[in-house]
Amino acid sequence: MSLIAFWGAVELGLVFAFVSIGVYLAFRVLDFPDLTVDGSFPLGAAVAAVLIIAGLNPWLASAVAMVAGALAGLVTAMLNVRFRILNLLASILTMIALFSVNLRVMGKPNVALINAETMISPFFGHGLRDFYVRPLFVGVLVVVAVIVVWRFLESDAGLSMRATGANARMARAQGVDTNRQIYLGIALSNALVALGGALFAQTNGFADVTSGVGTIVVGLAAVIIGETLFGARGILAALIGCVVGSILYRIAIQLALSSDVLGLQASDLNFVTAVLVTVALVLPRLRRGGAA
Amino acid sequence: MISVSDIKVVFGKGTPLQKQALNGVSLTIEEGQFVTVIGSNGAGKSTLLGVLAGDVIATEGQVKIGTADVTRQGTAARAGRVARVFQDPLTGSCGALSIEENLALAARRGERRGLAAALGPQRRAHFRERIAELNLGLENRMRDRMDLLSGGQRQAVSLVMATLAGSDVLLLDEHTAALDPGMAEFIMTLTQKIVSERKLTTLMVTHSMRQALDYGHRTVMLHGGEIVLDVAGDNRRNLQVEDLIAMFRKMRGQTLDDDALLIG
Repeated sequence: MSLIAFWGAVELGLVFAFVSIGVYLAFRVLDFPDLTVDGSFPLGAAVAAVLIIAGLNPWLASAVAMVAGALAGLVTAMLNVRFRILNLLASILTMIALFSVNLRVMGKPNVALINAETMISPFFGHGLRDFYVRPLFVGVLVVVAVIVVWRFLESDAGLSMRATGANARMARAQGVDTNRQIYLGIALSNALVALGGALFAQTNGFADVTSGVGTIVVGLAAVIIGETLFGARGILAALIGCVVGSILYRIAIQLALSSDVLGLQASDLNFVTAVLVTVALVLPRLRRGGAA
Repeated sequence: MISVSDIKVVFGKGTPLQKQALNGVSLTIEEGQFVTVIGSNGAGKSTLLGVLAGDVIATEGQVKIGTADVTRQGTAARAGRVARVFQDPLTGSCGALSIEENLALAARRGERRGLAAALGPQRRAHFRERIAELNLGLENRMRDRMDLLSGGQRQAVSLVMATLAGSDVLLLDEHTAALDPGMAEFIMTLTQKIVSERKLTTLMVTHSMRQALDYGHRTVMLHGGEIVLDVAGDNRRNLQVEDLIAMFRKMRGQTLDDDALLIG
């Protein structure tokens, strides 16, 4: 693996760290299996790309992308809470609908951002090579996101969200409006995922309607790798685990694809992903000796 | 003060499984009074507790807690007025959260929850102090996850949780039923201490007639969704478990076929 390929993997891992933090919030904190992310990731990319091309400030465009992601999350939460649709199914419905929404937003299947002014472009050309600048920039944003989400989950408000996922009946007895927590949590989760999409578009120079396929698996893979490595040591460790897991996942994929021995090609990516996630799921079980 | 007037609760109305769980129950509990509630399975004890807690919304009638009419309020909306300990130790606290996080959650019961850190040094010290009063050694395990505790320990912490924030009423839902006899005794002694120290208006549902007569100021017996016995003061002091059973038989004019009432 070349230096550029390595830092490219780190960069992609950091971009997808927003996805894994979002997935952690939905799957682990709220115990809500949310597949909306497969739609909200390209939604974030599409909204940011279209607005940047229209001349909007890229920071503002990314903020709007987050709002769009949050709205997508609210739709899923509403289908579940208000209309009592099973959480998994509710999120699949939103995800499917978002595919069409994303096409509408972009007006075509993909949009190029090559020469547009992005959040990162002001940082290019100051002596550091571009393939270092991108992961550094995204890394700083990831650190900010980790700190914000960590402080939130350890606040009074965050505690009620964690209680909602862990023991809803107890949470209600403590005066927590559990429905509101689901709205809030799924919106926050998808806002983070959409921000990941917006950064993906800006670091890669395009937004594509199919870029969301398998987002949930990648996010979940990162969460599980993080848990395998860090164990149950509290919120901060779990969040750092999401980030590290996301980066390690990308490096593992890059290694698998660039190794001549295995003879894999780029189109084998999804298969390799599935194998990696399966291994990450099975390994801790084998280690505990609990495998049947 | 709690005032329940002419409460009727029907489950599954209009279906073949329709059940009248409460049939015109009226009950007023004065400030600081400790009432024990007994009755056989299906008598309506749990439903009455549910109506007070907000889990069950009455089909007819009115529920007042303190000065407020809470008849139509859900559990979360009235949580500021109602403290509660569940029968199942796993229900009353969050296994995935630490002891101190559970306490922090309970300390804000019924209040707005902001973005300030849930556990500052001051709150930590306060929680530690309250847990130390239990003499279970849990004050050295404040950061342990709740699901590492035994059922009895969890129930003891739940009792502390119930008193961290103010409330108009404490509801105890057979909160010793899932414990071994030694731990049940400990929890009852602790309950007695907390209730009398804090002068809490308390309603305790129990399966044990012994418990019902030994604790509190007043005993209410439910049967078939109605109050069939309501004793306090001298009448209650002279009452034995056997009398209770005899009275129960006389009132209903039927034989007692529930062994559960005789146990304890």
